[in-house]
Amino acid sequence: MKELGMYLGCTIPTEQYGYEMSIREIMPEFDIKVIDLENVSCCGAPLRSINLMMQMYLSARNIAICESNNLDIYAPCSQCHLSINETIYRLKNSSKLREKIVKKLKEKEGLKYRGDLKVYHTLDLLYDEIGIDKIKKKVKKPLNWNIACHYGCQTVRYSDIKRPDKAEHPDKMEEIIKVIGGKTKDYSEKLNCCGAPLMITHKESALTKAGEKIKAIQERNFDAVSIVCPFGGRMLDSKQKKAAETISEKLNIPVFYLTQLIGLAMNKDKNKLGLNLNLNSEKILG
Amino acid sequence: MSEGIVDLFNMSKPEKKKYKDLEKELSIIGIESPNICYQCSKCTSGCEAMKLLELEPHSIMASAKDGFIEEIMQSDEIWDCVGCYKCIERCPQKMSPVDLMYIIKNWCVSSGKQLPGDYQRLLQNILSTGYTQNPLDVHDKKNNNWNRKTLGLPDIKTPKDQQKFTQIVSELAMEGLK
Repeated sequence: MKELGMYLGCTIPTEQYGYEMSIREIMPEFDIKVIDLENVSCCGAPLRSINLMMQMYLSARNIAICESNNLDIYAPCSQCHLSINETIYRLKNSSKLREKIVKKLKEKEGLKYRGDLKVYHTLDLLYDEIGIDKIKKKVKKPLNWNIACHYGCQTVRYSDIKRPDKAEHPDKMEEIIKVIGGKTKDYSEKLNCCGAPLMITHKESALTKAGEKIKAIQERNFDAVSIVCPFGGRMLDSKQKKAAETISEKLNIPVFYLTQLIGLAMNKDKNKLGLNLNLNSEKILG
Repeated sequence: MSEGIVDLFNMSKPEKKKYKDLEKELSIIGIESPNICYQCSKCTSGCEAMKLLELEPHSIMASAKDGFIEEIMQSDEIWDCVGCYKCIERCPQKMSPVDLMYIIKNWCVSSGKQLPGDYQRLLQNILSTGYTQNPLDVHDKKNNNWNRKTLGLPDIKTPKDQQKFTQIVSELAMEGLK
């Protein structure tokens, strides 16, 4: 059993419960034990526009907490994952930044920062660490749906910082969808933004972006959407009805976390995967 | 940076000190000087905020390159960036309009400009609870209410000493990258 410090950030444990539940449900089946980290906080990413020092301090703080437990970190939220990796990268390349933040962590909170832990996201944990062969072996009920993959901006960019998949042509999610029985294909809007960050300053534009993305997917006759970022869950599923109103279209497409889809293919209890919380899933789940 | 030029629309002149500060802060986070931008506009052609909000990262880069930093600070455009990172990904010169805008937004905040949209609430929540929001009640397809407890999820982990946490993060607000 491989043990990982699970760092959920803000959005997953405060509203995107289906992601968290399905992670907790399927990971032990793949010999991954997720350990909840005490004392953690926001990763700082939402504060980038306000103060980059604050952002990096908060990420470094969470890294130090995980390192003090001698664990590698698993950050299923793409925004947190980027902020953590970016902080490691920047602190490695600037001795000035590193000195300043390391000193503060030690003096103020007694935390020791090393910055050499491994950082996992759901996508590379499943594809690179567990591997598709192992996932395939657990499939009891192949899905047989035509699924559109939505990666999310910060899941794949930017490539100076280690990301779980390629920036312009990510395909790990498609590979996983195929081994759990699903069909999938590329679509030209695949890398388009879900609009989430604009909810802070331009709600209408945010919902328009989400609506346009859902509309494009729907028009290509997909049965469902697979996601690996909680902001995709918030915009494409939780706010799908509002997005539809905003762009005056009829939108109704099921959106699932990849971990929920894997759980479904493993024939896990739907309630334990949080599937009753996916608001647009009636079409295929009833 | 160009010297001796004037923006005839508002008679503003390039600001050498601010330009040097910008170069310095960019270098701290590992980004090259705006000087090397050759205005190919690849950043704008991919920009996720371009179509709806008319953000043009290459125009911001042009102003920055010429030292018109105050003009960028006064424009609301920089707050339209969604942080999709397509600009840095695709820049042939490895410049980063997104990070340049973060730095200038940081300056707007430290100079006392009011935070737009929900930023004030986000910051306040992080300072007082450690997170952008408290765990919410959500509803399912049949409109039943659920929360972490009823879903069988453990309590959310928060900073052990919230008061100290608030104090440290607030102190950081006074510090820039330099």
